[in-house]
Amino acid sequence: MENALVSYLSFVTPSGDVLTVPMLPLYSRDRKRLYMTSSILFSKKIDYIRKNPRVGVLFSGSQYIKAPFYAAVHVKGDAQVYEEDLHKGWMWLVELWRKKEPYIDAFLKQRVALPLFWERAVIEIKPQEILFWENGDVQREPKRWRA
Amino acid sequence: MTQQVNVEEFSDAAATYLDDDGYPISFPTVVKPVEGGFIVEKPPYISPKKKLTVTLNHITPLPTGGYTERRYVTMRGEGEDRGNTIFFKPLKLQGWDEKKKPFFQYCEERVPQAKRYTSTLSQMLGRLIKPRLPTLQLLFRATRFPFLIATAAPVLMGVGTAAYKGLFDPLLFILTLVGASLIHLALNMTNDYFDTKLGADEVNVTPTPFSGGSRVIQYGLLTQRQTIGLSTLFYVVGIAIGLYLAVLRGFIPIIALTAVGVFISVAYTAPPFKLAYRGLGELAVGVGFGPVIVLGSHYVQAQAFSPEAVLASIPVGILIALILYINEIPDAPYDLAAGKRTLITRLTKEQVLTLYKLLLAATYFMVVLPVAINLAPPTALLALLTIPLAVKTVRSVGETYGNPYLMIPALAANIQLATRTALLHAAGFFAWAALTYLL
Repeated sequence: MENALVSYLSFVTPSGDVLTVPMLPLYSRDRKRLYMTSSILFSKKIDYIRKNPRVGVLFSGSQYIKAPFYAAVHVKGDAQVYEEDLHKGWMWLVELWRKKEPYIDAFLKQRVALPLFWERAVIEIKPQEILFWENGDVQREPKRWRA
Repeated sequence: MTQQVNVEEFSDAAATYLDDDGYPISFPTVVKPVEGGFIVEKPPYISPKKKLTVTLNHITPLPTGGYTERRYVTMRGEGEDRGNTIFFKPLKLQGWDEKKKPFFQYCEERVPQAKRYTSTLSQMLGRLIKPRLPTLQLLFRATRFPFLIATAAPVLMGVGTAAYKGLFDPLLFILTLVGASLIHLALNMTNDYFDTKLGADEVNVTPTPFSGGSRVIQYGLLTQRQTIGLSTLFYVVGIAIGLYLAVLRGFIPIIALTAVGVFISVAYTAPPFKLAYRGLGELAVGVGFGPVIVLGSHYVQAQAFSPEAVLASIPVGILIALILYINEIPDAPYDLAAGKRTLITRLTKEQVLTLYKLLLAATYFMVVLPVAINLAPPTALLALLTIPLAVKTVRSVGETYGNPYLMIPALAANIQLATRTALLHAAGFFAWAALTYLL
């Protein structure tokens, strides 16, 4: 989770459909939580997650995960949205973000060019169950951990 | 719907459904297109529900970190279990491919979503939530501050032609520059206010750093009232400086030029004149940033008009009008939709480029002619140094014409061409004045 460049965030719409979008995952070892940030430009997911906080996050694609060994991982978790301070409330995650996108600082300096993109809500995911496919082999049953 | 998705373009796929415990569950998969849908590979121990979501994703990781070439498509539909595979029929589709839709356009199209979100959040939290920028950055963006170079150039030209005649007062120069700049900032904000009211900026989803307005109203960074309020403040202070200079240096000529300048700046987009909407914006800008500012600045220094200043005002007027002219190209489809019939919307691509070349040629001609008839110093020919840049810029504008994002370097080059030429032209007058003073 700390090495993946992208993950699939799935959430449930009010009509009961599941929507999935690629998201940059940020895992905090200290807090044992998975974080994502969402610009207010792409905030429909926030509305949905607020209404139904049960989400799933899949880490797959060996080409996107820089790790000594590859495994596909799915996290079922409960999400909480932090949106009281869209302007700066997510800035503490920049340190984790920088490890995956080193040019983030250059973009942040140009905040004036894309002001709405940098108004962001934080999605915090507390893992409830983790499914683990060694070597990404989904033909075999995944190992499971429950919180 | 199946034909809209080229599976080959994506390097990873996932299938997702709602598990019995109410959490979405995903598994990595391989997707193949078939008649009427897709075959989705599935692990034997998984029994997905009928409602299924299939997501295809691609990024190209960069060796330096991060990634590029983002694209994804999420298909919601129905799945039919066929043992080790699922026949998936998509019913709804959403996604993004940054090659097909540039990131800036993708963001711009989502501005209404951001507005809905902040409005809902404001209700939820019981306080106003709106996007923010630090004050200086907000003013920088709202006033389109870097465009002030378009005012500095003609002011320098007017002061330069006066210096050429041996007259130069630095304090008056600074006052003129500040006054004219304030009116230019007011013009930019008035333009944003009325382009919003009249719909031209609202419909534009491909603004660039040089076109499509400042977007501060569209983004909710400033209200329309705040925008027109700030604009009025800039006008009041700018006009006050003009009045002070008029009292100091010659009431009627300076008042008259200030009045014409302010009138053009307001009438440029404000009803009932809406000069920009009638194909007269380019001419208005050429007159305002050419003769009006150059002669005004010259008069403040020299307390008289001169043929040197009149002739020198023509190239700079054309050049600043050309900034607007080329910057209007990316906006043309939206301007047309909003009834803003700029010159660009009235001409074909070939006509636009021909006129561009002719006006650039006229600019250089008007640099050479006054030197030939002894109404400008030989050093004014410094402006000709930009001819190679002009050739390159014309080619670049032609090659990228109509593609807002590919045009950005051409738009930047055109601004550089205009300002460098005008500044070099003014520098020619200052250089001659300095040489005369020293020798």
